[in-house]
Amino acid sequence: MSGSLDPLLQREVVVCVGAGGVGKTTIAAAVALHAAMEGKRAIVLTIDPARRLATALGLSALDNQATRVPLSEGARGELWAMMLDLERSWDEFVGRTVAPERREAILRNRFYKTLSSSLAGSQEYIATQKLHEIHASGRYDLVVLDTPPTQNALDFLDAPRRILDFLGNDTLRSLLGPALRAGRLGFKLFQMGSNALLKGLSRLTGVETLEELARFLAEIQPTYDEFKERAARVHALLASDRAAFLLVTTARGGPVEEAIYFHRLLVEAGMPLAAVVANRVHPDHLGGLPLPSPEALADELLREGVVDQGQPPLSRRLHQTLVEARALARLDAANLERLEASTHPSPQVRVPRFSGDVYDLPALRTIADHLFARS
Amino acid sequence: MSLLDRRLHVNIGKGGVGKTTVTAALALLLAQRGKRVLVAEVRAQNVPAILGARGRGPEIAQVAENLWAIALEPKASMREYALMRLHSKVLYRSIFENRLVASFLGFIPSLPELVMLGKVLHEVREGNWDAVVLDAPATGHGLTFLGVSRAVGQTIPAGPLRSETEWMQGLLEDPQATAIHLVAIPEELAVTETTELARAVRERLALPLGMLFLNRHVPERFSDAELEALSRGFAAPQLEAAADAARAHEDRARRSTRYEKQLRGLGLPLTTLPLLYPERAVGRREIETLAARIEAMA
Repeated sequence: MSGSLDPLLQREVVVCVGAGGVGKTTIAAAVALHAAMEGKRAIVLTIDPARRLATALGLSALDNQATRVPLSEGARGELWAMMLDLERSWDEFVGRTVAPERREAILRNRFYKTLSSSLAGSQEYIATQKLHEIHASGRYDLVVLDTPPTQNALDFLDAPRRILDFLGNDTLRSLLGPALRAGRLGFKLFQMGSNALLKGLSRLTGVETLEELARFLAEIQPTYDEFKERAARVHALLASDRAAFLLVTTARGGPVEEAIYFHRLLVEAGMPLAAVVANRVHPDHLGGLPLPSPEALADELLREGVVDQGQPPLSRRLHQTLVEARALARLDAANLERLEASTHPSPQVRVPRFSGDVYDLPALRTIADHLFARS
Repeated sequence: MSLLDRRLHVNIGKGGVGKTTVTAALALLLAQRGKRVLVAEVRAQNVPAILGARGRGPEIAQVAENLWAIALEPKASMREYALMRLHSKVLYRSIFENRLVASFLGFIPSLPELVMLGKVLHEVREGNWDAVVLDAPATGHGLTFLGVSRAVGQTIPAGPLRSETEWMQGLLEDPQATAIHLVAIPEELAVTETTELARAVRERLALPLGMLFLNRHVPERFSDAELEALSRGFAAPQLEAAADAARAHEDRARRSTRYEKQLRGLGLPLTTLPLLYPERAVGRREIETLAARIEAMA
């Protein structure tokens, strides 16, 4: 079950996807660390890492700055890390793609603010743009992206389409057409005719909202083709064999269901899925051994010279702990069986749950050992 | 008045902390106390299945004694809002049966969230329920969701939407009516996020905080001396397995203790909910265990 990720090192881009709270950032960092140990110049792009993980990677702020992570003696490559500031990335993106005379009006528009901060899919859109930019810079052999927590699995794959639909929406164009064609600001919708649809809509949203939206679309329109082309380039990169997706989950029921659903979407979208990684799997301490009775444990403690005391006695508490651990392991095993059957024939990798939070480089190496074969 | 007597309960927390499980337990507890309860989920429906029942998506359906469920969907909520607003089915049809227009509405930023939150608050305001329990989206999305009426109200000029946001905001901010509960688990990232969430709800959104649920809590079971005695490596494989399990247990338990202490610093009534060891998935029996626990601590 482990060691099957070695082909990842031949790729240029790795995208870690999955439900929130499954340890995507940790897996992404472990992949980049391993690549660096193997001689690659690797960078991990992360959105919102745990503080101690950020510290371990030498990251202190969301600043879009690549930071080199000091590695131990044996490392043959380089590890870099970057925390993505998505709103800033949007501003930079507009700076690069929009003509200077239109920039200010766009950056000030309320719809731009929503677009850059909270429109579903916008974080994913800009994160993949950033990924593409860093990949294209040629400075790294491997770029690993830890995707933002999505409200639902569709957001990530759907992001470019949703953003482009929003910006290029034909309904909006036909409704707000006169204003868009005139390309002028400060128009009044209701001077544009007595469209019944517009009137009905304005009773729901208010006139000003529609006007501001029209203005935003008018400003952004000349850039639309650029947005579209960039999205197409990102899509081409992600769908190519230079990229690979890692679908990360835990063995809990909810995340497993989401992973199965997401797996189907990835396959349908023709995305190169490298493996399904089940993280924090509860280990079966007993292996295949039968559960020992409290009395048997008491005998063994006695034989080993460990005092069996306490309330309840140590042997009983050990027994109870084994019962609980076995229940957790069995539940995980059943969920993973379903996961494997539903994501066949994608390779499966399992990473056990470790004692303690995983927040330093040695712990990341331990995780990497479960992902890759030891060289 | 007890927190449990509020009319609107919202659970918010990081993804993966068991928010929906806690929502099911809280809703079941309120229903068991004889209240008429509606449980609402956003763009999802998991509570009915956990309780062994079937939901009917955006249609309110009964899932247990005194307990009804709804899955909030932007389209259904938009339709309801539009019908209320336009006072005319004919006008509604002329607008909404135009497929293009319907898709257009989805693109007005914040409108989907606004109408879904509006639906929940409408149910509270109409007084059909003694309590409504909302399972909010995870952290960032959840804050956006709960903040949508405030955000829209602050940015748009006076008009129909703005007056909607005013009564919504009034109800959300009312400490007699509303309680925003936080859900966490004893892990660093979740605890950090919970601390930030508490601040954001209190300061940025100015909404009344309720309880803090520390889910998957593990009680301490072994002393340092015992762990020491168990750490030397045993030849008997079952005893060695038991020692491994004890270390893993105690590691979780001590983090539970440490993070519980840290979270108590937030000054909210804290309820610990134990890690459960179900044979299959979490179901009605586990939810009843958690409900009893909340009852005991409340």
